[in-house]
Amino acid sequence: MQANTALPQDTDGFRPDGEKPAFLSLRGIGKTYGSTRANDDLSLDIAPGEIVGLIGANGAGKSTLMRIVCGVTRPDEGSLHWDGAALDPDAFSARTAQRQGIRIVWQELSLCANLSVADNFYVERPELAGRGPLWRGAYHTLARESIEAIFPGARISTRALVADLSLSERQMVEIARVASDPALRLLILDEPTSSLGSERSAQLRAYVRRRAAEGLATIFISHKLAEVLDVSDRIVAMRNGRIVWQERAAKASVPDMVEAMGGPGAGDRPERQARTGTAAEGEILATLDGKRTAAGIDPPRLRRGEIVGLAGLEGNGQRAVLRALFSRPEASGLKPGCRVRYISGDRPNEGVFPLWTVLQNISIGRIAARGPFAPVRDSAERPHAASLAGRLRLDESRFGSKILELSGGNQQKALVARALADDFDVLLLDDPTRGVDIAAKRDFYRLVEDVAQSGRLVIWYSTEDLEFLECDRVLVFSKGRIIRELGGAEIDEDAIVASSFAEQTAAGGAADAGPPPARRIGPAIMKAIPFASLVAVFLAMSIQNPLVASSFGLELLLAPAVPLVLIALAQMFVVGGSEIDLGVGAFTGLVNVISATLLVASPLLGAAALVAGLAGYALIGVLIQARAIPAIVVTLGASFIWIGTGQTLQASPGGSSPEWLAALFSWSIPGLPTPLVLILLAGIAAILIDGSATGTILRGFGANAAALARAGWSPVRYAVCRYLVACVFAMAAGLYVTATNNASDINASSSFTLLSIAAVVMGGCQLLGGMIAPAGVVAGAVTLSLIGALLAALGVSTDFNAAVQGGLLILILGFQAFLIRRKNDA
Amino acid sequence: MLDSITERRWILPLAGVLLLWAALVMLTERFSIYSLTGVATSASFLIFPALGQMLVITTGRGNIDLSIPSTVTLSAYVCVVVSGGTNAGLPAALAAVLCTALATGLVNAGLVVLLRIPAMIATLATGYILASLTLMVNAMVTRMGTPPLLAWVATGRIGGFPLIFFVAVAVTAATGLLLGYTAYGRKLLALGQSAEAARLTGIRTGRIVASTFVVSAILSAATGMLLSGYAAGAFLEMGTPYLLQSVGAVVLGGTLIAGGSATAMGTLYGGILLVMIVTTLQIAGLPHGIQDILQGVVIIAVLSVAGAGGRLR
Repeated sequence: MQANTALPQDTDGFRPDGEKPAFLSLRGIGKTYGSTRANDDLSLDIAPGEIVGLIGANGAGKSTLMRIVCGVTRPDEGSLHWDGAALDPDAFSARTAQRQGIRIVWQELSLCANLSVADNFYVERPELAGRGPLWRGAYHTLARESIEAIFPGARISTRALVADLSLSERQMVEIARVASDPALRLLILDEPTSSLGSERSAQLRAYVRRRAAEGLATIFISHKLAEVLDVSDRIVAMRNGRIVWQERAAKASVPDMVEAMGGPGAGDRPERQARTGTAAEGEILATLDGKRTAAGIDPPRLRRGEIVGLAGLEGNGQRAVLRALFSRPEASGLKPGCRVRYISGDRPNEGVFPLWTVLQNISIGRIAARGPFAPVRDSAERPHAASLAGRLRLDESRFGSKILELSGGNQQKALVARALADDFDVLLLDDPTRGVDIAAKRDFYRLVEDVAQSGRLVIWYSTEDLEFLECDRVLVFSKGRIIRELGGAEIDEDAIVASSFAEQTAAGGAADAGPPPARRIGPAIMKAIPFASLVAVFLAMSIQNPLVASSFGLELLLAPAVPLVLIALAQMFVVGGSEIDLGVGAFTGLVNVISATLLVASPLLGAAALVAGLAGYALIGVLIQARAIPAIVVTLGASFIWIGTGQTLQASPGGSSPEWLAALFSWSIPGLPTPLVLILLAGIAAILIDGSATGTILRGFGANAAALARAGWSPVRYAVCRYLVACVFAMAAGLYVTATNNASDINASSSFTLLSIAAVVMGGCQLLGGMIAPAGVVAGAVTLSLIGALLAALGVSTDFNAAVQGGLLILILGFQAFLIRRKNDA
Repeated sequence: MLDSITERRWILPLAGVLLLWAALVMLTERFSIYSLTGVATSASFLIFPALGQMLVITTGRGNIDLSIPSTVTLSAYVCVVVSGGTNAGLPAALAAVLCTALATGLVNAGLVVLLRIPAMIATLATGYILASLTLMVNAMVTRMGTPPLLAWVATGRIGGFPLIFFVAVAVTAATGLLLGYTAYGRKLLALGQSAEAARLTGIRTGRIVASTFVVSAILSAATGMLLSGYAAGAFLEMGTPYLLQSVGAVVLGGTLIAGGSATAMGTLYGGILLVMIVTTLQIAGLPHGIQDILQGVVIIAVLSVAGAGGRLR
């Protein structure tokens, strides 16, 4: 089929070696979203070893096409052929595409920040796991070799958490992870070099060409046309959902490509008229002082009427300058009283208000400056917003649409209109044209020119060096400092690249070295807190009463700590999923009641009730996942169900423990206090679960659920698993309470909810992002429990227990926040 | 437009109120107009903290005020102790309750905004501290009683309908206007959708988040004070129902639990609906435990059906 179905153009002419037949053929692919024809009668062949550069403006349909190729989206029309055989559209899913060897590096990264580099390789390729606790070994080797194969000299530690890597290191790990798939036959790189420096980008392109020689096909999607031209064998341009142009790279040029994507004349910029005079005489609005300049560079004075570019390799402090100018204007060298506007290219996170219309997204720019009780009406904002939109060629008829219904380029126009809504002195641009089509870019460049012309200062950070040609002056950054200033005729792409790299190569690629040691101190302190405070409290108690240190003393002292340790570990697994269980204390109370009443009177019914409890927790997991509702509200609701059930079963405290249950917890090993053994066992169990392959995936969901789901892990199954693990620990706590107290009280355990959260936080876990630490949690829980005993021994009224626990929690969290802020400032 | 996004979601809870009422009138003879005024009174006490909770939830990022029950209880005690049960003591009591509320709100706001402690934990912790304070104030109580004026506000009637209900409706209307038609409301809704985008737009996000915690504390304290007027005293479990019910009224009312979109009128109807459900259970003679269970089930069920509002993050 692949050989005799002719493409609109003669594909043979595009093949690198002319002979190999296509292994992937698309025929007549069409896809419609609402009124938008995203793909229209699209046909494409890909041969082994071929590198296809795919270009097109935003909204041209590239992403839709790639989603279809990857099995994520099902086309409305047309067929896919793989090795000559038509693929069954019903059976072709993201999983089957991956099994066939079609892999994509997504534009947004899909790593889990709280997992190590090696663990992130496991998430994608679970089949290599060894047995037992050392199951990870293979992944360290795999990760190291895969990264070095593409990016020699990157030296990324496979043990490092992804959270500790720089953005470009993460991108490298991401690419290496996908490229390491042995079944890989078609590699799709969607804007792969967006955060890589030129050197790494060149390494990647060299790698893609090496792999092509071995037969790997690649689709390379990028807005950086020079890179596409450099790496590709064939270039395919899309427009309005169709392939409008293809050409062998050897015969193509950047102007050709621009014209193919955006229509005639999109590429050649009109010569910029020099704004003679204005810039040199303008009032000085900002002075980037000595902290930001390398030795021998005069602190740049930035004037009204200037467009100043911040260049250099990504992540060398350009963005930090913009952020500082916005957040702490005067401390950063801005003239006092300057009105500053900020436009970010990161629309989903820093730009749009997704629930609002275009008009509301624009008008908030003006509303933000008003006093709280100033009246607001959409109809009154419209004329002003319309005049702004006109300047940007944003159609006013779209004002009523939700902002997310617009293309990336039009969204960005709305955000620009928002920033310009009010008068200002300084405009800060943070890679403002990221992912914006070429027509919208040109409108934007013209606007920036106008803004400067009207006597404002524009400070512009871009990841695309070509954009600096729009600037009057360019400051080149390296390692947080300005190392060179280019002006006027000196500004060209080569000069910027050359000076960006000059410092970098001299320092022996320091930009890629691991994070500086200063960043490690905070986490180390956090890890030590629970253990240090445990020692401190224990010492205080031993001094107060030497008997504490004896085996018998420990037995008495640690017995009340056992349930808290178990409940805190239950809470920890929930926190590992970036969720919180506000019902864990109440549930422990319910288990306490069930085991002291039903389980005694009718063991079968009691056991059934406990199983029902497990089912309840599983259901919580399903509800939170399947309905996307916050855990906090579900578990708060559940806590009332647990308490209500407990009250219905047993209106006032009472009951007794089944004899076998009491026996279960009352054995002893000579010389070792039983509670200590139980605490250690619970801790070891938690460490083993957390360190296991399942535990790794559970944590992964806490950091990047979307990526795990995409890698084929079921969110619902793991949510159920997470809540079942938590339930088992909480249940053990409830049974222990029954066994040791030989009675039950539904309200007795409710204070455990706050305590468990306190223990988790004190143990060094983070409430968001899936960072957990079982040993720390155990130490934290024991410490909190001992503090209660210490207060009692000191004669403090139990009335204050709650206040002390609450205060302690605030204190620890405050300290954590302080450390995190210091880390961010560093 | 904004109207279609937010202001119409109150229709569902309103329909719920009317349906439940119609069903009760048809099925039972005991559900008279008298019990309806009882519902209106109970709902009024709930509306104040629920509106505060709504503002806090609307700031997004999982913000929630769990210190509401403790604030309610402590305020009731402070009012009882400071007023001494006389009209003469009322101004001092009012001032003391306001100070309690401001302190609570500012502490919550400081923990959340300055120390960046997750609101859920910060308010849970302050709630525990307030509970300890309540025990201390409880020890100072010599005589339960309430200023007659306060009792009149809490129990008085206008045309057979509870006075306090009119107050609750007025506060709801004011909150609705604030949200929908002022710069403050717009900034709050923007912040709830994307805190970073709001900050880069030039909105002082910290101040707005802080203000919602202060308003929430003041409204909860108002309920505490009015409850002490209604019950002519205070007791330790006084505020407990308002933890779940304040969240429940907001959720039933159609405010997005993920933040960024809120409806004051919906919260009013959500509160009435929730109180009607509880009242029905009480009239049906179900024990307290079952009432707790059903409240929990209703809130989870409504959230499960409504979802989090289709937000991705």
